[in-house]
Amino acid sequence: MVTVREAGLVGCTRCGRVHHMGASACDRCGAPLSSRDETSLQRVWAWWWAGLIAYIPANLYPMLLTSTLVSNTESTIVGGAVELFLHGDVGVALIVLVASVVIPIAKFMAIAFLAVSLNKRHIMGEHAQHRLFSVVEFIGRWSMIDVFVVAILASLVRFSVVATINPGIAAVSFALSVAFTMQAALSFDPRIIWDDEK
Amino acid sequence: MTETPPEMEIQPPRPAWWQRISVVWLVPVIALLVALGIAWNSYAGRGTLIEITFQNASGLEAGQTTLRYRDVTIGVVEKVGFAPDLRNVVASVRVANDVAEYIDAEAQFWVVRPEVSVRGISGLDTVLSGAYIAGLWDNTSSGAQYAFTGLEVPPLMSGSDMGGLSITLRLRDGNQISAGAPIIHKGIEVGSVGEPRLAPDGDMVLIDAVIDAPYDRMITSNTRFWDASGFDIRFGAGGVELDVRSLASLIQGGINFDNIISGGDPVDPGQEYDVFADETAARSSIFTSTAVDQMLPLSVVFDGSVAGLTTGAAVNYRGLTVGTVTDLGAVVEGEGDDRRVRLLANLEIGTGQLGLGEDVSIDAARDFIAKLVAEDHLRARLATASLFTGSLMVELVEVPDAPEAELDMSGEPFPLLPTTGAAITEFQTTAQGVIDRIGGLPIEGLMQSAIGALNSVQQLAGNPETQRVPTEAANLLSAARALVESDEVSGIVADLRETTAGLSSLTRQIEQGQTVANLMSAIDRANRALEGAADVPQITGQLRELAEKANRMEVDQLAASAESLLRSADALIDSPEARQVPGALAGALREVDAMLGELREGGAVGNVNSALAAAESAATDIGNAAQGLPDLAARASRVLDQAGTTVAGYGSDSRFNVELVTVLRSLQEAADALTTLARTIQRNPNSIILGR
Repeated sequence: MVTVREAGLVGCTRCGRVHHMGASACDRCGAPLSSRDETSLQRVWAWWWAGLIAYIPANLYPMLLTSTLVSNTESTIVGGAVELFLHGDVGVALIVLVASVVIPIAKFMAIAFLAVSLNKRHIMGEHAQHRLFSVVEFIGRWSMIDVFVVAILASLVRFSVVATINPGIAAVSFALSVAFTMQAALSFDPRIIWDDEK
Repeated sequence: MTETPPEMEIQPPRPAWWQRISVVWLVPVIALLVALGIAWNSYAGRGTLIEITFQNASGLEAGQTTLRYRDVTIGVVEKVGFAPDLRNVVASVRVANDVAEYIDAEAQFWVVRPEVSVRGISGLDTVLSGAYIAGLWDNTSSGAQYAFTGLEVPPLMSGSDMGGLSITLRLRDGNQISAGAPIIHKGIEVGSVGEPRLAPDGDMVLIDAVIDAPYDRMITSNTRFWDASGFDIRFGAGGVELDVRSLASLIQGGINFDNIISGGDPVDPGQEYDVFADETAARSSIFTSTAVDQMLPLSVVFDGSVAGLTTGAAVNYRGLTVGTVTDLGAVVEGEGDDRRVRLLANLEIGTGQLGLGEDVSIDAARDFIAKLVAEDHLRARLATASLFTGSLMVELVEVPDAPEAELDMSGEPFPLLPTTGAAITEFQTTAQGVIDRIGGLPIEGLMQSAIGALNSVQQLAGNPETQRVPTEAANLLSAARALVESDEVSGIVADLRETTAGLSSLTRQIEQGQTVANLMSAIDRANRALEGAADVPQITGQLRELAEKANRMEVDQLAASAESLLRSADALIDSPEARQVPGALAGALREVDAMLGELREGGAVGNVNSALAAAESAATDIGNAAQGLPDLAARASRVLDQAGTTVAGYGSDSRFNVELVTVLRSLQEAADALTTLARTIQRNPNSIILGR
C-alpha cells in the first residue's frame, strides 16, 4: 500500500483535493497544505496538558451550588455521584460517574497512549490505533453531559430563596477540560499513524 | 539560450526549537496559571482555622453552620469533632482572615438556636437555616488566638458597641429570676440579667446583669435593686391594691432599681449589688447595711399555743423587722411525769438588720445577743402581728424586771433565747372574752324553754277549753250587758236615788234641825237655869263637860267612817270581784238603803233627838230643881258677882263658845260631806258601779 506522501502528493484536509507535494496552499479552497502536520503531536500534548490541568479543579471544586431554604449544598462531581448512589439512584450515579470521570480519564489516557505509541508498533498496531482514535473523537462530545446537566439545572432551578442551583468553579473547569481534550483529539493528525507502515 | 536552471531545491533551515514550538502551548500554560491562581486564591482565602469548644454540638454541622459576627457570616464550621478526652465538642471554624486578627482572648462564642420564651421569639431565622455560632469581640486586636471555649448561654451584651454596664447582683435565692429577665427602672426595661449561678460558698445566688447605655449612668453607689417578680397585693386604707408588672416579669421575674438618695458615685463594671425582697426593704436599706446579711439562727421555746405564728413570720426588735421565723416544731421536755410538749420556733436574725454590719461574724453576733439577753434582759415573746388575721410575730423586747436569764448556748438546735409572757393585744383578748361570754350563754336552754313555751302555747291554743274562752268572754260580755241593762241594775240606780233622797231628807232634817233647835232650847234652858240659879258654877262645869262630850261626839268620825266606807265601797266596786258580783252590790246597796232608811226612820237621829230630849228633860229637871230650891237662888244671888264674872266668861271668845262653834262646825262638815256624796251620786250615778 502506498501512502499519498510516498506518491509525492499532498491532500487538502479541508476539501480533499490532491496536490503535488510542494504546494503550500490548496488551489481550490485556499487552505494551507501540509503533507504531515509536524506540530500535531506538540499541540496534542499542549491541549492534553491544558485539559488535565483544568480537570484537577473540576474535581476538587464544587460542581453544583445548591441553595435551598434549609441548606446550602456544594457538591463536587464525585461527591455528587456518591450522594446519588447513597440515595439509591445507582443508574444516575453510574451515568454521572461514567460521563464525568471515567470517560474524561479514559480520554486522557487514550490520547496520551496514542501520542506515545505512535511510532512504537510493538505496542499497538496501526489499525487498532486508528480505531482508538475514532472512538476518542466520537466519545469526546459526550463528556460534556455533566456540563449540560449543570447548565440546565442552573437555568431551570431558580426559585429565589426556596431553591437555587448555581454552577461552581468545577463546572467551568470541567467544561474547559472537556474542550481541551477535544481539541487535543482534534489536533492529532491520524495520517501519522500510517507513516511507519511497511 | 539561457537554460533556466532547474529550481533549486531550497531546504529551508530547520527552524529553531522555539520556532517550532506551537502557540497552543500557551493554553496549558495559561490553564496552569489559572489553576494555580485559583488554588492559591482558595488557599489564601480559606481563612484562619479557630477551634471553639462546646459542651454539645446541638445544631452544629460541618460545612453548614456559619460563624457570624453582628449577623455577618465570617466563617463556616469546617469540622465538628471531639476534644481528645471526648469531654467536649470542638468545632473548627474557618474564619475570614481580615476578621481573624481581632478574635483575641476576650472573644466569646455561643450557639444561637431558635428560642421561644415569654419575652418573645428569638433566633427565628435559625429555625430554617439551622443554628449558627455567634461571636463577640471588641475592635482592638490583642494577639490572635486560635482556641476558645464557647458559652452555653448567650452573653448579656450581644452588641459590644452598645456600651452598657455589667454588674453582678446578689440574691438570697434565684428561683424567681431566670436568664433574660428584665431590669426595670421606672417601668422601662433598661437591661437584662444572665443566668443565675450559685456563689462559690453556696450562700448566694449571683446574677450578672447588664444595664444598657445610656441608662448605665443611672447606676451609682446609692442604687438599690429589688425583686420585682410577680405581683404585689397591698391591703391598705385605700383598699386592695394589685400591682402586676409586665407579663415577662410575672413569669420570668424582674429586677427593679432606683436611686434611693441622690448623689451616688459612679461605679466600675462588675460592681456587686444586693437585691432586696421588695421596694420597701430596698428603700429602708439605706439605713441598714445590707440586704443579704448573715443570718444568726436562734431557737425560742414558747409556752402555750403558738396558733397564728407561721413560718416566715417577722421577728421584730423595737418595731424593726430583724429576722424571720424559719420553722416551727414541738419538742418534748422533761422526764417522767414532767414531760410536756413545748413549742419551738427557730428564728433567723440578720446581723445587718440588727445594725451590726455586714462584716460581723455569726459568733460575734451571737455574743452580742447573749450580752443583750444577760444585761438588757432581752426576751422573746409572741405579739400580735395583725388584729384581723390574728397572726403572730416574735418580738424581741427588753423586759427590765424579767428574771435573770441568759442565752442558752447549749440549746438545740440553736442557742435558746429566753421568753417572756406573750403580748397578745388586749383588743383581741377582750373580743375573745366577749365571744366566750356569748358562747357561754345558755342559748340552748333558752331555746329549749322557748320551744317548751311555744309548745305549751300551742297545746293551750289547741285545747278545746281555750277555744271556748272567747265564747265565754262573749257570754260574759253579754251577761254584763244584760246585767247593765237588767232591771236590777236599774233598781240599783233607783235604790241609789232613794238612798240619796233618804240622805237628803236626813240632812234636811238635820239642817232644819230640831236637834239644833233642841240644843238651842236646851242651852236656853240652861241659860235660864243659870239665870235662875245665881250660883251654878258646878252646873256650868257640868254643862261644860256636857258640851265637851257633845263636842267629842263622834259625828265627824261617823262622817269619816261613812266616807271611808264609801271609799271602801269605791275600791270594792273597783275590784274585779265587785264587778263579778253586781248582785251582791245591789244587796249591799239595799242594805245601805235599809240602813239609811233605819237611820232616817228614827235610828241615829232619833237617838240624838232622844239624847237631846233627855238633856232637855235633864235641864227641865234642873229647872224644876232650881225652881224648887229658892234658897239655892239666894245662894246664887250671893254668888252673883261670881256669876257675873262667869257670864262674862261666856264672851265671844270664851272657851264654851269656841267649843260650841266647833261642834256646830263639825256638824256642818258632816252635813257637807253627806251633801257632797249625795251630789256626786246624783250627778254620776254609775260611778258607784264603775268606781269613778
